[in-house]
Amino acid sequence: MKLQALLIAESSNAVLITFLIYIIGVFLIAGLSNRLLKNRNFLSEYFLGSRGLGVWAFALTLAATSSSGGSFMGFPSKIYTHGWSLGLWIGSYMVVPICVMGLLGKRINQVARISGAITIPDVLRDRFRNAPFGLIAVALIVFFMTFNLVAQFKAGSEILRTLLGPIDLFGQAANALPAGLTALSPLGSEYVLCLLVFGISVILYTTYGGFHAVVWTDVMQGIVMVVGVIIMLPLAINQAGTAAIARAAVEEGAESTGGNLERVTRSMAKMVPPRKGTATLARVAPNEDVEIPSGAWVFMSSENGSTRLFKIVKRHVLTQETPTVEQADVWEIVSAGDIQRVRNRIDGKQEGDRDRTGVVTLSAIAVVDYVYGASQEQLGAYVTGPGPHRESANGFLPLSLAISFFFMWAISGTGQPSNMVRLMAFKDTPTLRRSIFTVAIYYSAIYFPLVVIFCCARVLIPGMESEPDRIMPQMAVELTSNIGMGWLAGLLIAAPFAAVMSTVDSFLLMISSALVRDIYQRNIDKDASEQAIKKLSYAFTMIIGLGALFGALHPPEFLQDIIVYTGSGLASCFLGAVVYSLYWPRANHQGCIAAMVSGFLAHLSLYCVGFLQGKGFSAFKPWDMDPVVVGLVASFAIGYVVTLVTPPPSDDLVKKYFYRQRPASSG
Amino acid sequence: MSNETDSALELDPFFLHARREAIVIFLVWFVALLWAVPYCYFTGYSVEDPASIPTLFGVPSWIVWGIGLPWLVADLFTTWFCFSFMKDGDLGTAGDEDESHPQDAASGEESPQ
Repeated sequence: MKLQALLIAESSNAVLITFLIYIIGVFLIAGLSNRLLKNRNFLSEYFLGSRGLGVWAFALTLAATSSSGGSFMGFPSKIYTHGWSLGLWIGSYMVVPICVMGLLGKRINQVARISGAITIPDVLRDRFRNAPFGLIAVALIVFFMTFNLVAQFKAGSEILRTLLGPIDLFGQAANALPAGLTALSPLGSEYVLCLLVFGISVILYTTYGGFHAVVWTDVMQGIVMVVGVIIMLPLAINQAGTAAIARAAVEEGAESTGGNLERVTRSMAKMVPPRKGTATLARVAPNEDVEIPSGAWVFMSSENGSTRLFKIVKRHVLTQETPTVEQADVWEIVSAGDIQRVRNRIDGKQEGDRDRTGVVTLSAIAVVDYVYGASQEQLGAYVTGPGPHRESANGFLPLSLAISFFFMWAISGTGQPSNMVRLMAFKDTPTLRRSIFTVAIYYSAIYFPLVVIFCCARVLIPGMESEPDRIMPQMAVELTSNIGMGWLAGLLIAAPFAAVMSTVDSFLLMISSALVRDIYQRNIDKDASEQAIKKLSYAFTMIIGLGALFGALHPPEFLQDIIVYTGSGLASCFLGAVVYSLYWPRANHQGCIAAMVSGFLAHLSLYCVGFLQGKGFSAFKPWDMDPVVVGLVASFAIGYVVTLVTPPPSDDLVKKYFYRQRPASSG
Repeated sequence: MSNETDSALELDPFFLHARREAIVIFLVWFVALLWAVPYCYFTGYSVEDPASIPTLFGVPSWIVWGIGLPWLVADLFTTWFCFSFMKDGDLGTAGDEDESHPQDAASGEESPQ
């Protein structure tokens, strides 16, 4: 117990110190960036970095912006929950860099320079000399990104709460918040404190430093992410391989053979998904108050003499007044190897403080198996496709969904305005070429290793299905504590925080640029002075950030679904319109507006059908296809047809963007 | 466009290169899809005895051949594409660009005029 407490304290201090160094670094970068704003065209510098990004800045800002909190929280939790099939789920990342940067990069950068565009609505408006088109694009960006911003603010705060939760000082600071402030949110004082720290930090450095601050913090965040993964990989394989030996002895009564990762995979092949359900909790000693921490373990004997193991999800306190808790959420661990591993962890003091065997009894147990992956015929679901799933009889990744995710990451990623605007900022074509190569290596170093690391987590830390989003910090503490280097956890845990921050700052600047440039400067006051634009840019960035912060005090439900909806919705709206604008001389504003609106409506209609079917904020998926596929097909098809049945664009526009003077020598 | 215009102008080679490269990239994405998803589906979705699933370097072999190998090939292709296939060209100069662009501290490189 003492050792465990020491390790936790060491890790907690490391997290706090890392976090403070990180925040100081971010503000130093903002200060340096603000100095660049002097003596340059303000708007171009503030929103586009003066179109001068070099290889590292361009490559890492694009990579870091694309990797939101999902990459370091949601993705690890999915690997942990569904096993090796996540390799296929993430497979299209093999071509994401070349698609996201190469499909549009050169042309959008050239067209933006020809027209002098600073934002994506700018590009579309100038390409067709059509103001309403620009305004439609602004409306869609503001609509989708505002929702997304609120969701990302909440994600960032939750990550911070996970990181700082075990620190005493943090708990004291949260308790010291004024009651009036904490009453603003139903999520408690710790959440409010994290939201304030996260939100105010991002708003301040983004507002003060603009695009360059965002880019340079992205570079720092990108480095943190890849270093974290590279450190974790060998530690995870080594420690999980050792753990798998003990599991094999229980499961097979024989010594496990092969290398460490081989043992891990063999061990996963024998795993059976846990059961989820409820039970009534009661005290064994009727006169003693009992505290049951969240994630407490209880071993019981079944009628046939075998051992049953339960994990109690939430914290409960059993007292004289409330001696029992009915319908408490529990998970039952089924695999023999998992049960033995938990026993070893308790005996080894890694989870000793959470053992409530003999103190609490469970009755009225009602647990159900995963719909896919628990039966004898589906044994080995963690090492085969489509992977186990608690609710879907088709498993985690049926064929149609696997195809959808190839669209989702590579094609939908290409259609994100936040990526497109970065493609307008690199300084020359050699920079683009080298950056595509750099991001390809960067993604290879992150995504496939993450699959390996969190497959190892299945073997090392059983039972995390009850709180899968915590697997990343839990794994960081586990790996570093086991080698007596708890301080390293701070660096590893900073990765998901960095990922969310880099996404939020980019979105904040995109909304602000849409309002200042596309609405105010281009429609309200075309002759606005640079000083006025400067004040407005600072003000809008600050106001939008604060608005999102207040929105996140009462975040809407279905946050993850909102993030998915906005990402696929933006791609459905923008990809078709932008591709036609850049590559098709015959394209006109009618066709491109039709592509944008039809993509939006097709995508939205699937969500409406899903809502009417009682699925909440989940879309109806025809043939199990993701809505982004339907949205993209509708957008490209309708855009094409409308273009052909409407008049061609004027000659001067086509000449401006697609032709050049014939060189004298060739004439 | 009119014939007069045709004779004085030509399609911008930068645009033509960019379009050709975009088509190649789209085909690469499609080939990756055609290889990865069917291969994984036919070899990794109906394994008779998962307990003795074939592995390579400890990873299920359907992941190695279906995702790992094409990922490696994709990286090699990306390297070739970036350093041998993609054409450089002049992106042009926007009206807002500095005439005397200072050194970009993040890249450590001098910006072009």
